[in-house]
Amino acid sequence: MALSIRLPLARFTLEVETRLEGASVAVMGRSGSGKTSLLEVLAGLRRGARGRVEVGGRVLLDSDAGVDVPPEARRMGYVPQDALLFPHLTVEQNVRYGVRGAKHSRADEAVSLLELSPLLRRYPATLSGGEKQRVALARALATDPALLLLDEPLAALDVALKERVLPYLLRVRDEAKVPMLYVTHQLGEARVLAREALLLDEGRVRAVGPAAEVLGPAVRGLLAAEGEAEENILEGVLERPEGGGLRLRVAEGLSLWVPDAPELAAGARAAYSVPSEDILLSTGPLTGVSARNVLAGTLARVEPAAAGEDAAYVDVGDVRWVVRLTTASVRELGVAPGARVYLAVKSAACRRLR
Amino acid sequence: MEGTAGLVFFTVAVATVATLLILAPGVAVAYALARWDGPGKGVVETVLALPMVLPPTAVGLVLLELLAANGPLGRVLDAWGVEVVFTPKAVVLASAVMAFPLLVRSARSGFEEVDPRLVAVARTLGDSRARAFFRVTLPLAWRGVLVGALLAFSRALGEFGATVLVAGNIPGRTQTLSLAIFHRTQLGEDAEALRLAGVAALLAFVAVYATEVVTRRRGRRVRA
Repeated sequence: MALSIRLPLARFTLEVETRLEGASVAVMGRSGSGKTSLLEVLAGLRRGARGRVEVGGRVLLDSDAGVDVPPEARRMGYVPQDALLFPHLTVEQNVRYGVRGAKHSRADEAVSLLELSPLLRRYPATLSGGEKQRVALARALATDPALLLLDEPLAALDVALKERVLPYLLRVRDEAKVPMLYVTHQLGEARVLAREALLLDEGRVRAVGPAAEVLGPAVRGLLAAEGEAEENILEGVLERPEGGGLRLRVAEGLSLWVPDAPELAAGARAAYSVPSEDILLSTGPLTGVSARNVLAGTLARVEPAAAGEDAAYVDVGDVRWVVRLTTASVRELGVAPGARVYLAVKSAACRRLR
Repeated sequence: MEGTAGLVFFTVAVATVATLLILAPGVAVAYALARWDGPGKGVVETVLALPMVLPPTAVGLVLLELLAANGPLGRVLDAWGVEVVFTPKAVVLASAVMAFPLLVRSARSGFEEVDPRLVAVARTLGDSRARAFFRVTLPLAWRGVLVGALLAFSRALGEFGATVLVAGNIPGRTQTLSLAIFHRTQLGEDAEALRLAGVAALLAFVAVYATEVVTRRRGRRVRA
């Protein structure tokens, strides 16, 4: 994928000049940094973009040569943030919408990969947020796109924690093997999904390269507070300590007990998520608790998350955790930013993403 | 009684033909107004709404001047051997012109309700502009179009002022129900006029009720 794009926007000019391997790219940056505009340029939905776009060896835009392939001929699988399903069509009709024009249909594969069989006869208005996202993903996948363009597929506000789309995205990446470019606010998700990352700031590329390098701890300053996940996503190497059990080694000095499963081998890379409401926060060292993982960290800040609920952000080494607490319990604990706190995480609360 | 049946048939036929005639251009104009946002849009909108607010007789007069044998349009039509003024064609034309703004207004709000981003998604899925219009935009806006067509039809049923100027009031040739009511009143046949008014009321009721039914179902419809 080779991009050389100039697009004047209201506050600044989007300027992206880069070359990417393109298998799985996370595009990150604050709100209004040009991420969505970049996707729209790639999809051919933005007039006025100048420069050159080459995806998979195909030139989609070359304004000097007068080339601007129309969106219907680009084979870009666009998944907008709010899913934008066709409300007058059933799930099945939505998924198959683009199949007619596609050379090779992957509709059946998409339906099974995203587990849509039970939903096929329903209409979009009857679906939950997470289900809508899966249908939108399947609709794009069914046309056998050269590249999936995902605009914050995990950010929709009404998507409940338990039905997150992330595991499905991992399956699309690893099983369907479709290249994807993926806009997100959430560092944890980007770390799990992306092989490469592109960091945008005011329309300019601030960093680009392998995800492991670009998405290090230094990146946090460039992301808004909303970049913090609702869910803690941890990636690392599995260990089988003597005496049994399974541990995920996330970083030096940070390992977690995770549920044991015989198919998981020591030395393999794995990613787990821990829902923010499944973590206990304590002001004193925890002893004699049943939770197997107790981590010491520093409270970064507390902010309202929902009615009667706060989100506490806790740094454990380089990893920032988010913990959901009721506003009342935050008051009773009387903690302030900078305070030393302890997190207790049951191993059963760690769900494997891959 | 047979005369009444003929009148009803002619009136309904005129309204139907007039509505069908303006359907395609009305939908096109409505769509353009819903999507286009260029300079002069306000002026175009106002001109298109004029037949609704002008005295119908003024519209009829303009049509008459245009279509008369020595008028600018009339001369062209005359060369082709087409006669419009004081024929059933004039009845259709007057009704069509008067009904056009109603169709456009309703169809346009139907189109405005369709999220243009849905069309963008359809295009990334392989649809040309035209295909996306017929697969996404029109199916989502069809109630607005249908309500507009029904309103236009109802308006055409009762058209009087423009029709009487450009088509006259010729029994058996250009006389519709509303013209016949006027005619009977002029002749002092009030009972007959009242009977025709009852028939007209019945027709209007059916048309407006149909509109209501469509509109109500729209309210119940679930949206994504």
